[in-house]
Amino acid sequence: MDWSILIAQATVNGLIVGLLYLLMAIGFTLVFGVMRMVNFAHGEFYMLGAFGAYFLTTTLGISFLPALAITFAGAVVFGAAVEWSILKPFRHDELNGMIATIGLAMILQNLALMFFGPDPVSMPSIARGATRLGQIAIPTARIYVVIFALAVLCALYIFLKKSKPGRALRAVVEDFEIASIQGIRSKVYYPLGFGIGVGLAAAAGALMAPLFSVSPFVGAAPLLKAFMVVILGGLGSIPGAAVAGLALGLVESYSSLFLSTSTADMLIFLIVIVMLIVRPKGLLGQGEV
Amino acid sequence: MSTVSTSGAKNPACAILGLIILAALVVFPWFSGPFVLHLAVLTAINIIVVNGLALISRSGQLSLGHAAFMAVGAYVAVILGQRFGLPFFLTSVVGIIASMVVALVLGWIILRLRGVYFVLVTFAFGELVRLVLLDFTDITGGANGITSIAAAEIFGFKFDSRASMYALCAAVALLTTWMLKRLFNRPIGHAIDSVAVNPALAESTGLSVHRLQVFSFVIGCGLAGLGSVLQAHYIGYISPETYNTSISVGLIVMLVIGGRNSVWGPLVGAIVLTPLPELFRGAVQTQHIFYGAALILILRFLPGGLSSLPGVLRKLTGKEAA
Repeated sequence: MDWSILIAQATVNGLIVGLLYLLMAIGFTLVFGVMRMVNFAHGEFYMLGAFGAYFLTTTLGISFLPALAITFAGAVVFGAAVEWSILKPFRHDELNGMIATIGLAMILQNLALMFFGPDPVSMPSIARGATRLGQIAIPTARIYVVIFALAVLCALYIFLKKSKPGRALRAVVEDFEIASIQGIRSKVYYPLGFGIGVGLAAAAGALMAPLFSVSPFVGAAPLLKAFMVVILGGLGSIPGAAVAGLALGLVESYSSLFLSTSTADMLIFLIVIVMLIVRPKGLLGQGEV
Repeated sequence: MSTVSTSGAKNPACAILGLIILAALVVFPWFSGPFVLHLAVLTAINIIVVNGLALISRSGQLSLGHAAFMAVGAYVAVILGQRFGLPFFLTSVVGIIASMVVALVLGWIILRLRGVYFVLVTFAFGELVRLVLLDFTDITGGANGITSIAAAEIFGFKFDSRASMYALCAAVALLTTWMLKRLFNRPIGHAIDSVAVNPALAESTGLSVHRLQVFSFVIGCGLAGLGSVLQAHYIGYISPETYNTSISVGLIVMLVIGGRNSVWGPLVGAIVLTPLPELFRGAVQTQHIFYGAALILILRFLPGGLSSLPGVLRKLTGKEAA
């Protein structure tokens, strides 16, 4: 096999996985930025998103794109409701907020276990066949996933940069006190920020559902990756999460050419530790260590 | 910070009542069936491990990789014992020291950073240790773990029955609790508490936040190693899944429900939560949902945990009387 093809293939795979990490990490870092809360339930929202897409497409027979939109919207509403009803007393209380989300994660995962059972289900692929780009073969389903993921990211970018609530949300992330002096109402933006953050996790879950199997346990791995990404990219930094997410996906994909999966995971942990020693702010973080 | 111990000191009757209840709890498993005795051993081991977590928590940090340090201690001790036939006492000491050394290296690096990074890295470290244990099959036995671990033996006395093992574990559990109580009555204990409450102020009064947190982390992880060495020699079997993240989370649940700010918290948490799975037998999901809900409710309405309940109740009744 030709090395250049192998590497090109690994690049494509790395970018796809990187997009997943990116979506997870941006949601995670957004929630942290808004509420100063490490959301341990983030992986469970990924899992719920995957189940949402699975049931909408297989049971209700809705096609994938509307299913993705419904899952995202549902997760935003559900996330906002959870924030408002359960997490409200823990805003800006890093330690207790974190423990509360651990409790939330336990509840969500075990409810999923009760209702959906422990056995993994697999969702039918959203497209058949492979697309050839020169000599590289990519399953068409993966191309769709990449396009949809990029669409979600574009929508998020436009929302955060151009729309009024998006700009208000960024102001809250930047500095909560000054934002509230400017008349931005925390009553609205805490649930909204949390909802959009976990909505992104659910969208990642829905996008990955056709590629991987779906079970109540699928949230753990993406959560761990989101942790790695935000440490590398700097906690609270959205551009940092984007760069580090793609980089992590690529590193994983390339290292899988030479190393076993667990060796690659150990290597990434070492990179994270070295990063913490050398540049604790993260790639694009702005202080606050 | 109102603790049972300080309020008890003001009221000797309360302290005596507390001691009588504690003594009754310690003694009663010997006079009940083997199953209760088994639960009592597990409870005592959990008290030791959660005591370690409590010490870390008192310095203002939350470790999500506590089970990983249990794994380091137990694996080192068991492998030394089985491969080289070294005696239990020696392997235990080496195992505990191994936990502490790993904690020292990791803690030195990550405790310079804000608390959140500590949590994320300890969580990732827990996964890493699990991977290493699974991967180095030649040494660790991989996913199969290590079986037929000999019973603990100190100076020729074998702790091979439940009753004798309970005696050992209960003694160690009470000893570690007493040591923590002593620690927090001393200046260094107050220094650790002050670091948790206000690190900037502690630093400006000349305390080294970094050193105190590393100290707490190292000792706390040493206690994790101590508890897990006892556990390994009691159960006779260890595997990577004995020490996965859900174990770390379970320990945090015990600590928070028992009470983070009192030396009695780990004791109360372990005693209440260790036997609880027996109530939910065959309904693990219900049990975990209950844990999650209890965690959130305790944080919301009783942040001091169950061990702060007497103080809170006394305050309430006191107010009514006044």
